[in-house]
Amino acid sequence: MPTTEPPSAQGEAEDRLRHLHRSGVLAQGYPSLPSLLEALPESRLSWAGQLIGRVDPDDVLKQHPDTPVLTVGITGHGTLAELVPSLTAEFARHGLLMRRSIGDFGQYVNDLSTPDSHLYARGSQLVLCLLDPMVVFDEVPVPWSVEDVEKALEEKLRLIGWLVGRFAEHRQATLVLNTLPLPRRFSAQLVDHRSRARLGVAWRSANVALLRLADQHANLVVLDLDPLLAEGVAADDIRLSMYAKAHLAPALLARYAREIGHLARHLLGRTKKVLALDLDGTLWGGVLGEDGPEGVEVAGGYRGDAFQAFQRAAKQLAAQGVLLAAVSKNDVEPVRAMLSNHPDLTLREGDFVRVTANWEPKPGNLRETAEALNLGVDSFVFVDDSPYECGMVRRELPEVAVLAVNDDPALHLERLLRDGWFDVRDVTVDDRARPARYRDEVARGDFLRDFDSIEDYLRELGVRVTLAPAASAEIGRISQITLRTNQFNLTTTRLQPAEVRTYAEDPARRVFAIRSSDRFGDNGLVGAMFTRREADDVQIDNFLLSCRVFGRGIEQACLAALLRQARDGGANAVIGSYRPTAKNAGVKDLYSRYGFQRVAGPEGDTAWFRHDLTVLPAVPEYVLLTETPEDGAL
Amino acid sequence: MKTIDDFVTLLRDEMGLDIAAADAARGFDELPGWDSVHLLSLLALLERTTGRQVPLPAVLEAPSLESVYQLYTG
Repeated sequence: MPTTEPPSAQGEAEDRLRHLHRSGVLAQGYPSLPSLLEALPESRLSWAGQLIGRVDPDDVLKQHPDTPVLTVGITGHGTLAELVPSLTAEFARHGLLMRRSIGDFGQYVNDLSTPDSHLYARGSQLVLCLLDPMVVFDEVPVPWSVEDVEKALEEKLRLIGWLVGRFAEHRQATLVLNTLPLPRRFSAQLVDHRSRARLGVAWRSANVALLRLADQHANLVVLDLDPLLAEGVAADDIRLSMYAKAHLAPALLARYAREIGHLARHLLGRTKKVLALDLDGTLWGGVLGEDGPEGVEVAGGYRGDAFQAFQRAAKQLAAQGVLLAAVSKNDVEPVRAMLSNHPDLTLREGDFVRVTANWEPKPGNLRETAEALNLGVDSFVFVDDSPYECGMVRRELPEVAVLAVNDDPALHLERLLRDGWFDVRDVTVDDRARPARYRDEVARGDFLRDFDSIEDYLRELGVRVTLAPAASAEIGRISQITLRTNQFNLTTTRLQPAEVRTYAEDPARRVFAIRSSDRFGDNGLVGAMFTRREADDVQIDNFLLSCRVFGRGIEQACLAALLRQARDGGANAVIGSYRPTAKNAGVKDLYSRYGFQRVAGPEGDTAWFRHDLTVLPAVPEYVLLTETPEDGAL
Repeated sequence: MKTIDDFVTLLRDEMGLDIAAADAARGFDELPGWDSVHLLSLLALLERTTGRQVPLPAVLEAPSLESVYQLYTG
């Protein structure tokens, strides 16, 4: 890489970070790190992570108690010291905080299989177990044959399979494994091409088996390192491997850390949901208002094809639940005509949940789009080719991930996909249907204006709600609701699929799935209630509803039904709680509104409520509720 | 990096080590906040800064920061 003077933004950011570090105020300045790290190239993040890593996470939390924090257990076969600064920087870049627990060198078998290892003792929510080629080559004799490698691979796979099973038995944390790179210094020790090919087969079969493990365990993620290596990152550094037993090169660990940063976002319920695209210069080449629909570069030709590749990637993301929005400085009519009629454009108006074309500043337009979708702007990724617009959005809406593209459209795609902003562990059926649902939502919004009162509107809407114990097939979607829902989430307890299942299997507990539909269509599984019997009381551990559907009487219908079921089941009272977060202030009075009394509870910021079951709230008359009650179950 | 003071400043700013110039001569065992895992970052930093490649075992066996400094500048 050529060494040049750092551009001023980078230089300023580095000075600022050094200053925070030297003055001992990094913990205080922690919230400023995302915008600061934004100005650094990827190659400087590990340096930044070394400074940031000197800060005690507890000090950050003392000064900024709302910082989302994840406990990460790190284990593996080789030395992993180089991973920590990269991970620290990636977390800070997303405004997250990492508590780390790192084991002794080479202790992964012990760490994963022993219930009192550091991974367990420190309550890791995410466990990274880094596998490297020496897991296998440490075990082969000298001289070795392909059969020896096959045998070693087979043994290690059996061991890893057992470790994963044992881990899943005891832990609900997410475990991350990775495929094994094959360094040339091993295949080159075989002189014949036939044996080298057989070594390749054995090695890849083992990686396939590792990747397949992810299908068997709900809480396992297996990162395929091949696509990262294909970017040109070296798998290992021979000197570090020989002398320091660091068998994966620092650059690969940095790339790995970037993927983990996005997984952490997902686990903390912060996956991005909306891709907001500028049009001129971003989705197509040229300026629609000047060049006209025939003059802009949409497809064909050098640049047209590059823009088309970008359009196709956006469509691909939308098919998996990412909501597309267009935010363009243009007159609305030509944009509509372009999106409806241009024969070569991959994306149509119907692919967007909202198209905004006007001359207002973009931050306001983004904010308005967020309101229309009932989402926070922090769930937005914004792509624009204008440094001016990018700068304005960064400044006004620092919580938006801004991707600045340039005048080479071939690089748009790379810029969009460099970070896994939309990474989730599983895509559900509901994800795929999400864009269509949100489009209906905008239709519902328009429909709203024709009504004098919201109640009339709801009556016309014909809301139907089903409340039933969660079926096994619904566990994944319910976990996802706990991970994604921020606003109507009474206690913001995030649960992985395995945790939802464990909860549901407890005979004293219930997980209810809430489904809704209306005249515009089926909303699918939109919420959940977690309840548990505690002596004569029923306790609501959490109550969640997707932001797409609240304010339609669904919450009232479900609470009314639950209270009645509790009374029919012989309970004395129902206890609810509200734990405040930055996002859920809208539901702080929910329980009070439906006849619960505030009561004293354990210390902390959680508020406790009790309903004595004498006067029950009614199901709103405009909601048609179907229950699948289990008599006396509550 | 012309003097041992430059070297110590570099370690403070680039690795976040809380050390003074006087600490450079101390053995690694007595160095505040030092962990052997820092050696990997240290040698990457020194190779980048000086453009020199020093045999790694020599760095790994060096008893103090000062002796590491000498390996790269001596």
